[in-house]
Amino acid sequence: MVNYALQQLMNGICQGSIYALMAIGYTMIYGVVGLVSFSYGELVMIGGFGAYYTFVYSGNFFLGVIGGFMASAVWGIVLYILCYKRFLEAPRHISMICTFAFSMMTKNLAQIVFGSEPKAVPSVFENVTYTILGIRITTLQMIIISVVIVFAICFTLFLTKTRAGTMLRAVSQNKKASALMGINVQRTVLIGNGIGCALGGVAGVLLILYYASCYPNLGQLVGNKALTSTVLGGLVSIAGSALGGLSIGILENLGIMFIPVGFRDVITFIFLVIVLIFRPKGLFVRKGTR
Amino acid sequence: MGTTNVSTAAVSPFEKLRLFTQKYKKWLLLALFVVVAIIPLVYDDVYYKNIMVKILMYVIIASSLNMINGYSGQFNLGQAGFLCIGAYTASLLATRLGWNFLVTMPLAGIVTMIFGYLVSKPTLRLSGIYLSIVTLGFSEIVRLVVYNWTDFTGGPLGVKGIPAPEFFGISFKETDAFYYLVLVLVVITLFVMHRVLNSRVGRAWMSIREDQLAASSLGVELRKYKSQNFMFGAFFAGIGGCLFAYFYRYIDANMFLLDEGFNVISMVVIGGQGTLVGPVLGAVIVNTLTEALRSLDQFRMVIYAALIIFMMWWRPQGLAGASNSILAGGKLRRKGKAADEEESDEEGGSIT
Repeated sequence: MVNYALQQLMNGICQGSIYALMAIGYTMIYGVVGLVSFSYGELVMIGGFGAYYTFVYSGNFFLGVIGGFMASAVWGIVLYILCYKRFLEAPRHISMICTFAFSMMTKNLAQIVFGSEPKAVPSVFENVTYTILGIRITTLQMIIISVVIVFAICFTLFLTKTRAGTMLRAVSQNKKASALMGINVQRTVLIGNGIGCALGGVAGVLLILYYASCYPNLGQLVGNKALTSTVLGGLVSIAGSALGGLSIGILENLGIMFIPVGFRDVITFIFLVIVLIFRPKGLFVRKGTR
Repeated sequence: MGTTNVSTAAVSPFEKLRLFTQKYKKWLLLALFVVVAIIPLVYDDVYYKNIMVKILMYVIIASSLNMINGYSGQFNLGQAGFLCIGAYTASLLATRLGWNFLVTMPLAGIVTMIFGYLVSKPTLRLSGIYLSIVTLGFSEIVRLVVYNWTDFTGGPLGVKGIPAPEFFGISFKETDAFYYLVLVLVVITLFVMHRVLNSRVGRAWMSIREDQLAASSLGVELRKYKSQNFMFGAFFAGIGGCLFAYFYRYIDANMFLLDEGFNVISMVVIGGQGTLVGPVLGAVIVNTLTEALRSLDQFRMVIYAALIIFMMWWRPQGLAGASNSILAGGKLRRKGKAADEEESDEEGGSIT
């Protein structure tokens, strides 16, 4: 029993780290754009497909990650032009509707272009199972976790150490003031949105490797997870949303030990509702930070 | 752009139409009612009649969502959840216990209303996006519970063999009869909504929508009225769900996906939030569009989504919405408002 629990914990950490990467990307989008996106899951899916075709033609893992990154970034720019550009100043529900519609469009386009049946993802590295203290860990899981850690660290460094990162943070704090400081707000928002989407795309690459299949409905399954994780983390805290993603992954995998698999998504939402009742601004937000 | 002002801006054809309809409101409404009532007598085609019944049902559903989103400014994304509860309450009572439509319909509304209360309670402290997420979560929780609770709801098999409504010796099995039943309910719903909105309660909701702080300082009890607003909206959503069940004679949990909720929201937003006519227009347009695009097969949803985005670009406040409303495109309204600190609470925030 204990062993099984530990095993589930390990799976949870693995899945949770993918959610964490998605949540980091989502935080970036929400912070910079200031508007909610309901098409994030579809961007993750696009990243997955970008990687799938790169895998098929090159068979190289790193090229695949780059492929997913680029595919989502490009689609993120389309999203920006269609759904955000005109509505940065408008009430939020307008762009929300647009992102909803954009998600529907992307999903159905993907079904037409890629076909709706699941595609088996070719193996791009040897998957070996190691047993450490009775817990099985596969190469895949280790790669997933390390990719997430690498991206999270690189992203944090990018935000804090580079000029572009400082601009992004400035825009997320106050658009008007940063415009007065000579920052091109529109372009910065575009870049921020692109990066956020691209991180989602990388998460998509890891997801298709994790599930070993790629299909257009993938986004629907995970889009809400990203949103939930981000809300748990307080929407604008990168560390918070990463923790939120991790905790949801762990909670889900431990939760299905006790209740039927069908209720798996219910756990996430009930957890979210309970958290929001007691901490209306998210789980990992310190008081007075906003 | 620039320093546009409502009064000096050129009056668009839409504004003219709006003013015209406001002037001859009663006569237009009467004429519309007569036309809608006569259509099935003149035009005899079951396919089109079914579409019209669908439109009428969506008028109720979209209006119920409009009560919440448009009048108290709480952005509810979980209307599909309320629909699901209403539909399942009515259909389970009708199939398992064989209760009459006259009993199941109000009960569906009341049960949904209770759920509306339950949702509104924890969300009272939340605002903006957090509230939306909780309602979205609620919708998914309802759907998944219904889908997985096989003993009680039939699970993936759904509820089959829902009888046609029948009371006072009249059977509503025929599409024509059902059409008139729904039409009467639509009229009652819109009338009740109209009366409530023009009462003290409705004005309280609108004051909350415009400015919470000002409203509460004038003695509007936010908790009470927000809760009431959710319950009111949920009640009619439940009625709509009940009609859904009786119309299709079969329901399953996958009819109430988040996409369904989105469908309803797009009706409300396209028509114009915060107006009684808006959802009606929206329901007509969206349903007609989806039917008209049916021949495009797999491109149908792509075109539909593209049209919604186009609508938002073209007329963000909705077809019937006024351009100076708080729910409108914002440029006019927000320019003159020194609302920076108010916005910063809601939008974005610094990434840490």
